[in-house]
Amino acid sequence: MTTSPTEYVHPEALVDADWIEKHQNDNDVRIIESNEDILLYDTGHIPGAVHIDWRTDLQDQVIRDYIAPDKFAELCSRNGISPQTTCVFYGDKANWWACYALWAFRLFGHERVKILNGGRDKWKAEGRTMTREVPKYPRTDYPVPAKRFDKEIRAFADEALAQSKAGKPLIDVRSPGEFKGEITHMAEYPQEGVLRGGHIPGAKSMPWKTATNDDSTFKPASELAKIYFDQCGLKPGTDTVVYCRIGERSSHTWFVLTYLLGLENVRNYDGSWTEWGNKVGAPIERS
Amino acid sequence: MYPPKLEAIISLFESLPEVERRETLVSYADNAKKQEPRPGEKFTLEDIRKDEECADTVGVYLQVDDEGKAHFRMTLGPEVQTLTRAMTAILCKGLDGRTPQEVLELPGDFVTRIVGAELVRVRSQTIYYVLTRIKGICKVYLDRQRMAEVA
Repeated sequence: MTTSPTEYVHPEALVDADWIEKHQNDNDVRIIESNEDILLYDTGHIPGAVHIDWRTDLQDQVIRDYIAPDKFAELCSRNGISPQTTCVFYGDKANWWACYALWAFRLFGHERVKILNGGRDKWKAEGRTMTREVPKYPRTDYPVPAKRFDKEIRAFADEALAQSKAGKPLIDVRSPGEFKGEITHMAEYPQEGVLRGGHIPGAKSMPWKTATNDDSTFKPASELAKIYFDQCGLKPGTDTVVYCRIGERSSHTWFVLTYLLGLENVRNYDGSWTEWGNKVGAPIERS
Repeated sequence: MYPPKLEAIISLFESLPEVERRETLVSYADNAKKQEPRPGEKFTLEDIRKDEECADTVGVYLQVDDEGKAHFRMTLGPEVQTLTRAMTAILCKGLDGRTPQEVLELPGDFVTRIVGAELVRVRSQTIYYVLTRIKGICKVYLDRQRMAEVA
């Protein structure tokens, strides 16, 4: 890897709308919409796309955690997904929740994943076909994953603390106001129950949006390299932890670092600020 | 307890299974655009702004008729969430014809009965935002009425 790549390291992880239109009926491809707006799929979606809800489908409904492997197998089976299926994720908010769902699929070891560059907004802006028809696919028998890959791509609070103490890279992808502790919620969002503002000591601020163009597509590799290698000082081979408020914006950055820039040891601290900012005794910096 | 039009909407939603509840919410959301001001309409008060609590600009237009009854129109920016759009159509219809004081005193606990507990969660709290804005314009109207009476 060079420090100023001219191409994405894994260009196959991104597809455009033309690719979707060409492959949306392939048996081994499943288009998956995942949104913040919980009724948006119901108002219209890409023909053939199934809906995966970030909370009711991917998260445990009692404990703050993801579903168990058998529940993931059931989720895939009822959506006609097998381990050989290429899952193409897209959604609102420049693909925040699409990246979150993709990351969750990777937690369960599903390797064949892609993102529709530009997400739902670009698809709609281009006047592409949308439908309210909910597709039905033959049920599959997705095997229960032997494990969840928490250790590989997920960080917990104690690991984020260890990262901070060791001076290893921590990227805070929230807005500058949240990073500085001036506000305890995203602009335009209600307060989500955080008691303290600021950031994890040693974290660098690089808002997720820095990686995107105005049409929600990802910036070219050379620009991403300048942002994350030159400005953030990230290096191949170094453990990196990214976080936001509840793990969705940081999933977006995790996708950029892992797939577009090819960094191998990036973990998403999905507990993020709604855990850290409420945790008794957790060290906080404000600047 | 609730205005009759709103009570009817609440009862309808409570009778629906989850899938139909979602479909009905989407249907109301589709109708949110019909709540926009129509050419030539005059309003007693207008409140158009973009708050931190909502993803886009929301306009509330209040007309109080000769009998003191309130009628609402609303405009929503394109980024406003589907549930918020649905609540806009529901509230404009359900609160039509009540007095500003009645609207101001309306408890907000009916929202979950309409939307269902499943959809009230992190990142969907703006369903309460429209009610807050409608109550807000009613409060301004009533405050001005009281000030005028004192003067």
